[in-house]
Amino acid sequence: MSAVNSAAPATHGVQVVRFFARFARAQRWEHWLLFLSFTVLFLTGIVQKYRTESWSQNILSTPQRLVWVQSIHHVAAIVLIVEVIIHLAHGFYLLARRKMPHAMFPEWQDVKDAGSMTKYLLFLAKRRPKYGKYSFEEKLTYWFLFFSIGIMVITGFVIWFPIQITTVLPGSVVPAAKLTHSTEAIVAGVFVLIWHLYHVLIERLNLSMFTGRMNENDMRKYHATEYERLTGESADTPDQGGQA
Amino acid sequence: MVKSRLLLPFVIIGVLLVLWGLASNASSTSAAPLSVDRSAAPPAQQTEQYCLSCHGKPDLKMTLPSGEELSLYISPDQLKSSAHSPAGIECEACHTNITTYPHPAINFQTRRDLSRSYYEACQKCHPANYAKTQDGIHAKSAAAGDPKAPICTDCHGAHDVQKPDQPRVKISQTCSPCHQDVYDSYKNSIHGSALINDNNPDVPVCTDCHGVHNIQDPRTAQFRVQTPEMCAGCHADPQRMSKYNLPTDVYSLYQTSWHGVDISVYKANWPTIWHESAVCTDCHSVHDILPASDPKSSVNPNNLLATCQKCHKNAGPNWTSAWTGHNKIDPQRTPYLYAVDRFYSQFAQAVLWLCILYVVLQIMHALVDRVRRSLK
Repeated sequence: MSAVNSAAPATHGVQVVRFFARFARAQRWEHWLLFLSFTVLFLTGIVQKYRTESWSQNILSTPQRLVWVQSIHHVAAIVLIVEVIIHLAHGFYLLARRKMPHAMFPEWQDVKDAGSMTKYLLFLAKRRPKYGKYSFEEKLTYWFLFFSIGIMVITGFVIWFPIQITTVLPGSVVPAAKLTHSTEAIVAGVFVLIWHLYHVLIERLNLSMFTGRMNENDMRKYHATEYERLTGESADTPDQGGQA
Repeated sequence: MVKSRLLLPFVIIGVLLVLWGLASNASSTSAAPLSVDRSAAPPAQQTEQYCLSCHGKPDLKMTLPSGEELSLYISPDQLKSSAHSPAGIECEACHTNITTYPHPAINFQTRRDLSRSYYEACQKCHPANYAKTQDGIHAKSAAAGDPKAPICTDCHGAHDVQKPDQPRVKISQTCSPCHQDVYDSYKNSIHGSALINDNNPDVPVCTDCHGVHNIQDPRTAQFRVQTPEMCAGCHADPQRMSKYNLPTDVYSLYQTSWHGVDISVYKANWPTIWHESAVCTDCHSVHDILPASDPKSSVNPNNLLATCQKCHKNAGPNWTSAWTGHNKIDPQRTPYLYAVDRFYSQFAQAVLWLCILYVVLQIMHALVDRVRRSLK
């Protein structure tokens, strides 16, 4: 990882902003697959979950529409599963080659960061903690959705193929899977809508998952440790802790 | 002067109201067909005596053009113990075309023609019930040309007409001559045996589920989707169920089940479209319903898989435990479901509130920062 743009000769009135490479093209493609399949699954899912509500019945106004919604849900599920397989296969490939980057794995520092950040938010500390390439918030997002999607895929298969599943597993897993699928969907949806969308859209507009890069200011403020590691410069700025 | 001018409209309205009240009162008394004065002494029944002077003879009969013999004998005892005769309703109330002797010639080919012609007289006094039968499946089969389709007198009797529900078992027995196979299956069911053996007042007789005069075809999609609600009429009634120690939440729990949600959606939106999702009778059987403890019951644990396989063709032996039954989520009976329910009742709340709390703190901190900077 190194700075993408080397500094150009500065002239009056020109600000040169350095960008840092953050996500590879394949990772951005994976995010697109995840984003599209998750959105479609969530929307077609809640319509089915709330079938007894009138707003749902306005959408599913004919039996044929229900079949369509279920088919779309299944197609989106297959897209998500393909994405999960690609992601895991790539992960295992990197592990086998001993090339797995450690930046995404949770470590003790994340717990300390969460504590420091809470102190900072409660005005008990003056400075926000310095994060590495991925902040504890981003790691939480990744691993929360990693396990949520795992739960959704497994329980989704159980309620998609209940007859086949119960040849192996006890029947009582079917209603348990149905309740899990239905509830975990809402939990994951709430998590994405509140936690993830706040961090990437409202706290600051962070489109690095689409552009693949992050500008210098955001790197300094939100990934200070990583900025210092990459540049060898101090990440501190006069308005440290202020609004971006 | 001003006062009386103001009062005038009220006076007019008042007079109109009084007139209207009188008029509607008068029309309601004249329209009430069943207001027989039962407190008065029994009427003389002079016409009846006169008719019975001939029709009281047991060998009085005639031959119809079809070759059928029509007995013209009316048992005086039967007539006197009927519902009509003691109430002062005389022969010509029904036999409206016969006022004199000799009688006008009759032009019926068969006995059935005769019955089908005379029952029209019932609507004079029983217009509401008569109108209801016109919407029923029996009237539809008659209109489709089935001469055997029942008319009033087939169920209620003619000269021997009695209260139809005393004793209560009489109702179901009334249906049995035509629907013998159904009756045979019903009489051994938990409902039928309680009715026939114990004269139980709570179990359904035929008409409780099928309706009385406007009996509908029970094989339609509409009848199917309203079945759960119909069963709930008794099985969700705490007063009735407490006598037999039966749970009353079977219906509400069914409605949250996979089957129940399907059916409620179809009932609300597409009641005329047939849907296979199970209703009560698909699992519990229709007329031969038995308690689950009975080895012959379709929902007895030993028969349950076969019952599920009626729809879920390839279901294996593990399948039946996928059915959480009408039981609540329970740590013994549905341990996985119980665990999931307990976990998410905590976890979902925790995720929601932690997300909200963290984001609110972030926003507040950002606002405070902004205010501080602008004050610098």
